Amino acid sequence: MIDARPWTAAALIGALWGALELSVGTALHLSRLPVRGMVMAALGLVCLVTLRRLRGRPGACLLAGAIAAFLKVFTLGGLYPGPLIGILLEALVVEVVFDIFGSRRVSAVVGGAVVLGLTPVQMTLTVWVVAGRDTVEATARAALEVLAWLGFPVFPPVAVLGGVVAVAAGIGALAGWWAWSVSSGVNERLGQ
Amino acid sequence: MRLGFASAALFLACISVFLPWWWAPFAGCALAIAATAWVDRSVLRSALRLGFVLAAVFAAAVGGSAVAWSSGLVKGFEAGGLLLARLLVLWLVAGVVSRSVDADVVLGVFRKLGFERLGLVFGLALNALPRLVVAGRQVWIAHRVRSVSRIEAWKRLPALAEVLLAHTVRIGDDAAAAAALRGHSSLVRPPKAILVCPAPVIVLTGRPGSGKTTALERIIDSLVGHGNNVAGLIQPGEFRDGAKVGFSIRDLRTGEEAPLARRTSRESGQHGTGFLFDEAGLDLARQALASVPEGAVLVVDELGPVELRGKGHMPALRRTLALQPPRVLILVVRRHLVPALLAALSATDARVVDVESEGDEAVTKVVALVGEVEA
Repeated sequence: MIDARPWTAAALIGALWGALELSVGTALHLSRLPVRGMVMAALGLVCLVTLRRLRGRPGACLLAGAIAAFLKVFTLGGLYPGPLIGILLEALVVEVVFDIFGSRRVSAVVGGAVVLGLTPVQMTLTVWVVAGRDTVEATARAALEVLAWLGFPVFPPVAVLGGVVAVAAGIGALAGWWAWSVSSGVNERLGQ
Repeated sequence: MRLGFASAALFLACISVFLPWWWAPFAGCALAIAATAWVDRSVLRSALRLGFVLAAVFAAAVGGSAVAWSSGLVKGFEAGGLLLARLLVLWLVAGVVSRSVDADVVLGVFRKLGFERLGLVFGLALNALPRLVVAGRQVWIAHRVRSVSRIEAWKRLPALAEVLLAHTVRIGDDAAAAAALRGHSSLVRPPKAILVCPAPVIVLTGRPGSGKTTALERIIDSLVGHGNNVAGLIQPGEFRDGAKVGFSIRDLRTGEEAPLARRTSRESGQHGTGFLFDEAGLDLARQALASVPEGAVLVVDELGPVELRGKGHMPALRRTLALQPPRVLILVVRRHLVPALLAALSATDARVVDVESEGDEAVTKVVALVGEVEA
C-alpha cells in the first residue's frame, strides 16, 4: 500500500511554510531586524519537525522545502538567492538529522542547532557571493570598530563569526526543543 | 501571455535594483506596474482597496523614516517611495499570478517534464493556499479573542502554532482521502488492494475516545434485534482511573473474551505501537474470524496501523473474506487512518460514518445502510 498522506502533508506544510515566508518573512525583511533569518528559520523548523514526526516518510522534508522555496520565488526580490538557499538547506539538514537520529526530541534539538548555526554562515557566504568580498570585509571591519568603541574586546572576524554561530546554535537547540513540544501538541490535537 | 507579462514585469523590477542610477528602480517599478495593469486592469482595481493602500503607505512611512533617521531625509524619501512602488508591483504581480497559475497549469508543466507526482504535490500546495489563509485567519481571530492580555497572547503562541499545523495536516489528510477515492494513480499508487471485500463496507470512524466501540455495541444490539446474523469481534477498552490501559477482545458469536493488549511506553511497545499484545487475544481474534458464517454481517473492531501494514488481524480477515464472504462488512477505524484504509480497500461499495459528526444518528445510519444491502 502506498499512503499518499506523507506527500499531501508535505505539500500542505510546505505551502504553510511558504505562506509564512511570503507574509511574516516579507514583513521581517522590510523591518530590517538583525535576526530575521533566524526567526524564519525557527518557524520553518517547527513546520519540518511536525511534518517529520507526524508523517515520517523520508524525503517529505525535502519536498516541503522545495514547495516553500517555490512559493518564496513569488515575493518581490524572491529571486534573491539567500532565502531560497536557506530554505532548501534547512529542509536538507532536518531530513538528514532525522534520518540519522530517528524521530526523537534529540533530532529536533540537533537539527535546530545545525539549522540556526548555519544561518550566519550562510548569510555571510551569500553576501560574499552577491556583494563581493570587499563588502563583507568592510562590514566586518565596521562591526569590529563599533564593538571596540563600545568597549568590547576585539577578536579576529573569524572568531566573532564562530561566536555568533555558537550563540545561534544554542538558540537553535532551544528552538528545536520547542518545535518538538509543538509537534507533540499537534499530535495530541490530531488524536494520533 | 498574462503570466509571461507578469513574470517579465517582476524580473524587470528585480534587476532594476542592481542598476547604477538612482532612478532605475523607480523606472523599473513604474514599467512593471504599467505592464501588469495593461494585461489585467481588474488587478489594478483590486490594488486600490483602502486596506491595501493604508498598509502599503504605513509600511513605506515606517521604512522611509528608518532610512531617513540613519542616512538623511532625501534617502528616506527615496526608500519610502521605492518601498511603496515595490509593494504595488508585488500586489499586482501576485494578483495576475494567482489568476493565471493553478494546479492544472503546474501539473501540465511537470507532466511534460515527466514528474507527474511532483506536479500533483506542487499543484495541491498552490490550490491549498487560499484554504490555509482562511484557516490562519480563523485561528488568529480565535487566538486574539481568547487572549485577555498581551502576555496571555504571547503565552498562547505555541497553542496557536499547534492549531494551525493541526489544521494544515487535516487539510492534507482530506486531500489524500480525495486522491484515494479518485484512484489517482500518481499520488496514490495501490499496486493491489490488501483488503479485497466482495461485499459493501461500512467504515465507522472517529477519534480515539469518541465512542466508536460504544456506538458499535448499540449497532450490534440493533442488528441482532432485527434478526441479523452478526459475527466477528469487538475490542472494548480497559480503563483504570479514567485512563485507557489496554483492550480486551470479544467473539461476537460465542461471547468469549480474552485480553488483547496492554499499554506500555512507545519504546517498549510491539509493532511500532505503545501496546504489548497478548497471544491469547490474538488467538481468539483468529478463531472469531474463522468461524464467521457465510452471508453474516461481519464486524471488525478495530483495524489499526498494524492491520494496515498487513499484520495483526489482517491475514485472518482476508482469509474470511475470501472463504466465507459476508453480506456486509463493518470496520471500525480511527479517523486519521481512513485515507490509508480507503487506499488499501477494494469493495463493491464503501460508506464512511463518523460517530463524532453524526452523533446518535450514526447508529441509525449504519443500521439503515445494512438494511439497504438486505433490500
